[in-house]
This record gives sequence, C-alpha cells and structure tokens, in this order.
Amino acid sequence: MNALIAVVLGAVTVYLTYTRYARRIDRNVIQSDPKRATPATLYMDGVDFMPTNRNILFGYHFKSIAAAGPIVGAIVAATLWGWLPAMIWLIGGVAFMGWVSDYSAIVMSVRNEGHSLSAVAHRLISPRTRTILFLFIFFYLLLVAGAFVGIMATVMESQPRTHLGMILLVVMGLLLGQMLYRWHVGLIPATVITVGITLIAIMTGHASEGFFSSINEAFNALTGGTPLVTYFDPTLANFKGAEAKIMPSLLFWAVAISLFCYAGSVLPIWRMAQPVVYVGFWITALAMLLGLSGAAIGTITKPEVAQFQIPMFKGWSPEMGPAGVMPLWPMLFVTIACGAISGWHALFGSVGTARQIENEADMLPVGAGSMLAEFLLGMLALLAISVGSKGSPVAAFANGLGGFISVWGFPLDYAVSLAFAAFIVIVLVVTQLLFRVMRVTLTEWLGDMIPPLRNQHFASFVSIALAILLVMTGTWIYLWQLFGAANQLMAALSLLLVTIWLVSVGKNWVYAGIPMILMYVTTVASVLVTAYNLYFNVYLPNLAAGRMIPTVGSGLMVLVAILLVFAAVFIGIDGFRAFFKYLGKPAPSASRAAAKG
Amino acid sequence: MVTEDALRMLKPKTQPQRFQAAKDFLYGLTGYQFVRHAQEMKHEAESLFFIATMGDLVGIPVLPPIHALRLLPYFAPEIARWKRQLARSREFWEKEEYDLHGV
Repeated sequence: MNALIAVVLGAVTVYLTYTRYARRIDRNVIQSDPKRATPATLYMDGVDFMPTNRNILFGYHFKSIAAAGPIVGAIVAATLWGWLPAMIWLIGGVAFMGWVSDYSAIVMSVRNEGHSLSAVAHRLISPRTRTILFLFIFFYLLLVAGAFVGIMATVMESQPRTHLGMILLVVMGLLLGQMLYRWHVGLIPATVITVGITLIAIMTGHASEGFFSSINEAFNALTGGTPLVTYFDPTLANFKGAEAKIMPSLLFWAVAISLFCYAGSVLPIWRMAQPVVYVGFWITALAMLLGLSGAAIGTITKPEVAQFQIPMFKGWSPEMGPAGVMPLWPMLFVTIACGAISGWHALFGSVGTARQIENEADMLPVGAGSMLAEFLLGMLALLAISVGSKGSPVAAFANGLGGFISVWGFPLDYAVSLAFAAFIVIVLVVTQLLFRVMRVTLTEWLGDMIPPLRNQHFASFVSIALAILLVMTGTWIYLWQLFGAANQLMAALSLLLVTIWLVSVGKNWVYAGIPMILMYVTTVASVLVTAYNLYFNVYLPNLAAGRMIPTVGSGLMVLVAILLVFAAVFIGIDGFRAFFKYLGKPAPSASRAAAKG
Repeated sequence: MVTEDALRMLKPKTQPQRFQAAKDFLYGLTGYQFVRHAQEMKHEAESLFFIATMGDLVGIPVLPPIHALRLLPYFAPEIARWKRQLARSREFWEKEEYDLHGV
C-alpha cells in the first residue's frame, strides 16, 4: 500500500458519496426547494441570521468543524488496530453516517426556524430532554478539553522545538487583532506579516531547541529531578504499563496552556481567540496542503516517504496487558470521531451555519461538502501515521507529514518542525474556544443555582481546574476514547432528533434512523468498556497505592462515563417514545407547518 | 423549477465564474469571520445608541431627546432588525460575555 492509492481512494469516496447518495437523499427525501424561504432570509438581523453565499459558507463551515479530531483519532486508531480498520471506518463512516449527521442537522434547523438541537428536542421530545442535553454537552466539553490539554502539555514538554513557534503564534495573534480592529490594517498585509513571522519561528524551531530544553531542565532542577506526582499508567510502555511521572516542566506547560486558554475564554473574542485561530488556521492549512499534495506526488518522486510502515491489521482485540480490553468493536468507532462522524459538527451546524443558509439548495454542498472535506483531513492524518513509524504516535505523525512536506524540497528538519507545529496549533486554538463554550454552558446550566458561576472568571477557572484534574490522571488514551464516545453519542442523539423530526413531518426516516441505531448502541457500549478499563486498571491500582490525584481524576472520569450513559439512556427512552408517537400521527399542524416551512 | 435547474447546469461556466467560487471559498475560510464580527460590533454599538435615543420603542423608559425625531428617518429601516436582535439577546449589556460568536 502506498500514499497515492489512499489519496485516490479518498477522492473516489468523496465523489461517489456526494453524487450517488447524498444528492439522491437531498432530492427525494428532503426535497430541498430553492424557492422556499430560509430562516436567514426570514429573520435577517445582520448578526446571527444572515443570508450568505454558498461558497463562502462552505469555507466558513469547514473551517469551523475542522479541528484536531480527525488527526488525533486516526493516529491513535492506527497505532492500536493497524491502518486498514482505521481506513475502512473512515470511508464507511463518512459515506453512510458522517455527511448524514452534518447535513441533516442543518436541514432540521433550517426547517425549524433556525432552532438549535436542544430547542428542537424541547419541542419534539420533552422539556426534560433539553436539560439532559445541556448536562451532556458540558461533560462532553470537559472531556474534550481534558484530552486536548493533556496531549498538548505532553507534546510541548517532550518537543522543545515547538515552543518558539507557539509563543510567536500567540503574540502574532494578539498583534493581528490589534492591526485589524484598531489600526485598520488590511487583511492581506496583516496576514502576510503575522503568518509569515509565525511560520519562520516554527520552521526554525529546531534551532531554539537547546534553549527551551535548558528551561525545562531548570524547572525540573527545582525539585532535584524528583517528579511532582507519580502514578501507574497501564497504557504506557506499549500497553505493558509503567510508572508515569509528572515533572515540574510538564506542570509548567500545562499551566501555561491553561493561562492561554483562560485569556482566550474571558477576553473579547476579537482581541485574542479569533485572530489566534486565524493565524493557526494558515499554519495548519499550509502543512496539510503541502502534505496531501506531497503524499500524492511523493509516491512517484520520493517513494521512500510514501510507503506504509505500520502493520495493516493488529487483531480484533489486541493484547493490552494491564491496559484492559480494547476490542475493535466498539472502540475503533469512537477513537476515530471527526473524520467519520461527529456530534460537534451537528451542534455547530444547527446553530452557526443553518442560520446563514440563503437557499435550501445550499444545504447539501455546505453540510455534506464540508464533512467530506473533513474526511480528507482524516485520511491525510492516517497516511502520515502509516508512513512515519518512528517514535510516539504524535512523533510518528509529525515524521510522516514532515516526509510528505519534504517532497517539495524543504529540508526534513524544517518540514518536521512545521508538521509538529501544525498538530499543536490545531489542538491549541480549538482548546481555547472549548473553554469559552464550557464557561458559557456552565453559567447557563448552573448559574441560577450557584450565582458565582455567573462570573466569567470564576466559571472559566472552574472549567480549567476540572480539565487539569482529568489531565493529572495521565491515562490520556482512555480520556481520548471517552471524549470520542461522548462526541459520537452526541452525533447519535442528533441523528435521533433528525429521525424523530423526519417522522413527525411524514418523511422517510430510514437514511438517518439506521446510522442512529448503530451509533447509539456502539457509543453506549464503548463508554461502558472505557469505564470498565478506567475503574479496574487505573482507579483501583492507584487507590491501592494511596495516590490521591490520579485516584480522584480517574474516579471523576468513571463518574462522567456513568453520567453520560444515564443521560443517553434517558434521552433514548424519551426519543423512542416520541418516535412511536409521531409514527402513527404526525406532529400538530402548527409545528408541522413550521417544520415544513 | 426542474427546467430552470437543468438549464442552469447545462449553461457552460465561464472562467471568471469558476474563479469566483474559489475566491468565495477562500474568503469564507479566512476573512469572512472578521467581517461578521465587525458587523456584530457595529450592531452592538448601534443597539446601545438606539436604546439611548429610541428606547421607548421597546419599553425602556428613556425620554427621547429632541434629536430623536430628526434621526427617525435614518433609524426606521433598522428598527425591525434591531427589535428582532434585542428579542433574542439575554441582556443587552452583557452580550460579549455570553455570546459565542458562532463558535
């Protein structure tokens, strides 16, 4: 197997899915009508509801949904089960479920006056469902934030070559905000200056490696080389289990990342979060573009960088030793989330994008098109990890992507630095936004009961502290899988809502209903497997050893897993009741009229 | 409708149209978010100005200044949009803290 075949496979999947399946559903089931008024045209307010050209919206939606998910998930899955199962799931997932979830969430919102998923759940299922969905979303965000802060702190501690680039990214982001909104500099010159400086800092990162290593050593010398926390992590040493150590340098980077996220969460969005995301976007886009094209032509011009190195298939349930059980079903289907199907896309699509759809004919290219583009990102990550077999999963990904980029004539050192940075940047910029969403969700959920949570600083602090506690468990792979399960469960719940809505308006629900059942069963099973692994392989050993922080952290993760299952079961029961209610009798005429537009 | 769609698809696309789609896509990826946010900031500032001058229209007990009547022709086209926007906000003074700006 080589990279070119995989790139061709990806392109064929996109073409066939869009032209042979998605278009048919859009035409025959949804019956999108370009002449029907959309919420953007009906309620235009120039802010949330704003009719927007389909190509612009496609770019906007794609940028909003493309995050670290497809990259990290592919890396972990290929390491655990081999590249073939990961590729099959990416292709099958996006073709039969991924685009369905994204597109249908947008359609449902457009046909329901631009309402969010929770508002539709409140109307079609029950008020209780909306509250449970809120709780679910908060814990889901907590898991994402914990998983992302954990991986970033680890990579930044172990890769001092990335530090200069990341510091410059933040500085340039702040400068860009100032240039655009205060000094009124044009977007193009501001982009050239800020992205250019960041790129130079990133690509010459290996030159500053010695300096930042000495800073790490200085921090570690504060405790005389003694770790701050020691705990048992069953996923270390190639799943043989080992004592993990949290050194002062790791804590320093975790705190630095948290401070950055805190600033991103409480400062006006134009000051920091938005411009940093923008600069980061260019770095990642450049690396991905160079990487994807390099993968395609490297097969011919530089075959040594394009040959798959990792095993094709490692077994249905690879031997994990003290790490517990990791069966391909259900765990693969939650380990790779965003490249195949993702609940985040549905959440964002139903609120952010649906309110800007100008014409019903745009729902398919924007919703399904963006998901298919995201799938290509997942394929690229899978290719990169498959050809770069050296080091930890993230290092292997960076080496693989660096190899692809080097096809264009860049020295390998510079190319690998860019690949590392592309990975960290995409995680970093998403994390600061996550804390912003978490803060608002926490305030909305508990602000009335616990008034201090209405304060944005306190709510941000609580959110970050909870995420750091999860990071301190050290069992990052479980945390990632729990996040993946929550994300996929979110997608299943969104498909459940779509199914109920389709039944309520008398449309064929099968195309959404079957993926919903598959994802619902799979994700609930995966949460239970992860909870089992965490309880027996992390919580109990650390409890027996009297280690408080990892015990509390893993206990919290088990609790979150149980809460997610309960929330999913409650929503499922209510949802199935609503489904059968509408199956024989469509929704009341007023709502039906609104739903049908 | 079908005929119109079919005709549109059959019509050959000229080069500038193709480039326009790519330009729009790139704009959506990059500059669109700043334009949207600039619009949000503009509407926010306008909203405060409207409240100070025309607050009585939405039940806020302000005494309209003498200039309000002279400004009315400029406000009029924006009033419906402003009311819709206010109806959806939590509180008009804490927008920044609770708005996710499409995140």
